[in-house]
Amino acid sequence: MIYLAHIVVMVAIYVVLAASLDLLVGQTGILSLAHAAFYGIGAYAVAVLTLRLGASFLTAFLAAMIVSAALSVLLSLPSLRLREDYFVMATLGFQLIASNVLGNWIDLTRGPLGIAGVPGPRILGWVVTSQWGFVALTLLVAGSAWTVAACISASPFGRVLRAIREDELVAEALGKDTIGSKIKVVAISAMLAAAAGGLYAYYVTYIDPSAFTITESILVLAMVIIGGAGSRLGSILGALLLVVTPELLRFFGFPDSIAANTRQFLFGSVLVLVIMIRPKGLVGRYGFGR
Amino acid sequence: MAQIVANAVITAGSYLLVGLGFSLIYTTCRFFHLAHAVVLTAAAYSTFVLHVWLGLPLSISVAGAVALTAAVGVSMELGIYRPLRKRQGSSSELLVASLGVYVSIQALLTLLFGAGTRTFRDGEIASVSLLWSVRVTRPQIAVLVASVGALSAISLFLYRTKLGKTVRAVASDPDLAVVYGVNVNRCFVSVFALGSAIGAVAGILVGFDGDVTPTMGFRILVMSVVALIVGGIGSIRGLALGCLLLALSQHLTAWWFSSRWQDGIVFVIFISFLLWRPQGILGRLPRSASV
Repeated sequence: MIYLAHIVVMVAIYVVLAASLDLLVGQTGILSLAHAAFYGIGAYAVAVLTLRLGASFLTAFLAAMIVSAALSVLLSLPSLRLREDYFVMATLGFQLIASNVLGNWIDLTRGPLGIAGVPGPRILGWVVTSQWGFVALTLLVAGSAWTVAACISASPFGRVLRAIREDELVAEALGKDTIGSKIKVVAISAMLAAAAGGLYAYYVTYIDPSAFTITESILVLAMVIIGGAGSRLGSILGALLLVVTPELLRFFGFPDSIAANTRQFLFGSVLVLVIMIRPKGLVGRYGFGR
Repeated sequence: MAQIVANAVITAGSYLLVGLGFSLIYTTCRFFHLAHAVVLTAAAYSTFVLHVWLGLPLSISVAGAVALTAAVGVSMELGIYRPLRKRQGSSSELLVASLGVYVSIQALLTLLFGAGTRTFRDGEIASVSLLWSVRVTRPQIAVLVASVGALSAISLFLYRTKLGKTVRAVASDPDLAVVYGVNVNRCFVSVFALGSAIGAVAGILVGFDGDVTPTMGFRILVMSVVALIVGGIGSIRGLALGCLLLALSQHLTAWWFSSRWQDGIVFVIFISFLLWRPQGILGRLPRSASV
């Protein structure tokens, strides 16, 4: 049962990541390779604030989201004005630098050693420690993050985003602030990713830079695309599929070290296959990148 | 100081080697072939297998690895990118496919060789003294020779051969090239073969100088892509200048502050260029979006 609870928590964390990345990839049609960086920034912000300042759940969570959004503007402001390619490259560079900073800013992050012993989240004087408490908390956060993403895509703002995706020039000609909207959606997406990172830090209690590399960014992107970009169900389906399927490898008796790489090999090749055979993903309505 | 400049020039040489292959593919095929990172790594591991496991002499191993890697690059083009282009996949789709290729081949290499470092050096490398008591190792000299060689080889190829001329035609306007009867597919295949071969040389030399790990290609690829944008896309001289600028600022940062922030300075330079000179040192502003 504890094992099942663990899987539920991990799926919920990845639903937050996939739903927030889908705001960029599926709704706005821009590609980001820095999602793991914002995920990591959130995790480290929560860990540092909780351990050093004894911050409660809400304070740490909000602070992490604000830091992440602020850093995302640093990235999006210079690069989103330019052609799409430049944004992809800027996110790639940002991802590399984030891994670099997490691994090297020893005073704050303890470098490659990572931060251990993150205490359970304290919500209104009540501390979550049990596995089922975490299931409830992550499901709650994942549910709200997913609802936020769904509300955004249903709102007029969401329509502007899809207009940008379909034809940015037309959206601009209709008087929409396309660059401002893109900067906003990147910030929202970074905030939600940071929330996922905060949950992760609380849940596993030990974080190190190796959990937030470019491979993780590509994993979340694979969830969005395999599930189906631009559809609300797609991000849930993608997260479910890519978290649960590798767990089955354990039942076939793969040792952990091999299982991790087998999983990476599988999601990489499935990503290529999906792009080649069914670019809409499983339940997507929008052929990504068209 | 002279030593710092020498080291920077050598680092710039390795960025240039990686960047030349990537830039050739990018300007011709118009998408970010990020799997180029794993092409470099594959070259280093092929050398390792041929030289250490099969015991072939180093020169034959290197030649074999370059040929093998070119074949890997061409098979990516034939097996994945060409079918995608055939059904009018966008450049974002090609990019995502290349990311999938990158993670899966990297995982495959880790499964085969382990995540630890491997090396195909035979013993310690002696360093040679040059002018002003600058010391460099032989592989480092090889990096310089190879990067200058690759630079002139690509220039000769693009501006002196018939195939190079068609490559430039396809790069400037693929549709028009088709109208004039250029075989665009053949052109892409040759670009992937040449770009991957140059990438192979880069990967082998980097593997010689440092260690061979499954993730070695990614960082250096990002550096050379930043150099490409900073220098100005589409200009080979710009790329060389960008590589020099990045490498010099990295080594100076390491000297003044700490080697830990070497990569941070690259990002600062990159963002500054995006803000104030997005076309790069020698580039022209990209044509505004066409309807």
